[in-house]
Amino acid sequence: MTCDAVAKAIPLYHYGELAPEVEESVEEHLHVCAGCREELGRQKSLAAALDRNQLAPPPSLLAECRHELIRAVYREEAPAVSHRASDPWGLFREAFHSLWHPGIRFTRPAGAVALVALGFFAARFVNFGPGGLGFPGTEAMVSSIRSVQPDNSGRVQIALDETHRRVISGRLEDQNIQRLLLAAAREPDNPGVRVESVELLKDRSASVEVRTALIEAVTHDANPGVRLKALEGLKSFAADPDVRKTLAQVLLKDQNPGVRIQVIDLLIAHKDDATVRILQTLVGKEDNSYVRMRCQNALRDMNASVGTF
Amino acid sequence: MLQDAAGAVSARAVAKVDEAAVIRAVQHGDQDAFEQLVRAYDQSVLRLAMNLLRSPEDARDVYQEAFLRVYRNIHTFRFDCSFHTWLYRIVTNICLDHLRKRKVRREESAVVETADGPVDRMDSFEHEGAHEDPERRMWNRQLADRISAALADLTARERMVFELRHYQGLRLRTIGDMLGTSEEAAKNCLFRATQKMRGVLGDLV
Repeated sequence: MTCDAVAKAIPLYHYGELAPEVEESVEEHLHVCAGCREELGRQKSLAAALDRNQLAPPPSLLAECRHELIRAVYREEAPAVSHRASDPWGLFREAFHSLWHPGIRFTRPAGAVALVALGFFAARFVNFGPGGLGFPGTEAMVSSIRSVQPDNSGRVQIALDETHRRVISGRLEDQNIQRLLLAAAREPDNPGVRVESVELLKDRSASVEVRTALIEAVTHDANPGVRLKALEGLKSFAADPDVRKTLAQVLLKDQNPGVRIQVIDLLIAHKDDATVRILQTLVGKEDNSYVRMRCQNALRDMNASVGTF
Repeated sequence: MLQDAAGAVSARAVAKVDEAAVIRAVQHGDQDAFEQLVRAYDQSVLRLAMNLLRSPEDARDVYQEAFLRVYRNIHTFRFDCSFHTWLYRIVTNICLDHLRKRKVRREESAVVETADGPVDRMDSFEHEGAHEDPERRMWNRQLADRISAALADLTARERMVFELRHYQGLRLRTIGDMLGTSEEAAKNCLFRATQKMRGVLGDLV
């Protein structure tokens, strides 16, 4: 092997990436050539210098990343209301599909059902007179299939119930729209509608009615995505005694670690003795290691002992 | 000795089996298992992103995006490659996007202006072997600057291959697999990267 060929092979030789027969030839050459040995020495010095300059991310950055990721993952549970299907058959397909994918958690049919639900709410809660909110339109859609009967000619007869979608539009400031959203935030069968409604209401927590709905959602909603959204809405009232009382109860009762983490963040934004006691209680019974760690860190930040004695 | 080797092999096999069980649990929606999986790999992912992008903010974005993609797509993982390879494919793709975007808007400086004068944000992050005397530290600072300049001179792909081989210790075949290219192409990348680095740092090392 020539010096030129060996010089070209040295980087790969250093990393052990040469084919065995080439590696052997390089070693034979290095054994007899001082110049190429020097070249290898320079390669090793470069590698050592690069090793010394490797950046080590600090533990605090890793902890922050983990914290943000956990929150983001729990947020992933929040259903996205999609409006992909617009024709009745498409809506039916989506609804049907959702029956067989219960684990996918209500994301797909949410848009369709949300519209129906809002239509029903509109009829139930709002009396639209002339000159009211927008111009409600109607559009037929399938709500359930009663029977499916194939015949001998290769056709099929489907008996279905039709319902009519009613689209209401208006500004968020409109009292009627707010009433609809408050009702939708309590809609028992559709977390998709609830999460969308809470998302819209959460910036209006200055209203007592809205705040009550948010507190109710945080305390009773079965869906963690809705609870997390409602917690966001209560952020600016984290110092309010009633809100804090609710948060304390949620922290000790809620089954979802993401919710508990968010509650901890809200509670420690305003430090008080009651918060210390709650966190100390939680440390003793918390199963989730990350939530426990958050509690311990919060207690240390408040110069409080981690356990109760 | 042979027993030690056998022990190590069986420990790796057990770890693989355990990991497969954890991945299956994640695929069935177990979030604690997901957390376990993240913790097994996240330090090396963050280190990779940090060294490649040399920006804590970008490293944090890569971390978040990569593991969220894992969370959303774990159901598509079919065990036809190792989870490590699958994860690193995701991470390297995101990092390459960041590097390419950055090339478009030129390499970002880690130096920011403050009331006390210019400050290098990366100074707050510990370099390996950072505890030396002042003279040594100054020399190292100079070397670190030159290394940053040398890294900035590499193409996104060269930088990636170099990082994965030099710092992460992955074989070029695996790297080629992760980057969707051949082992030979990865070899060429590593060679070019090393030559460029030596060109810039030659007189300092």
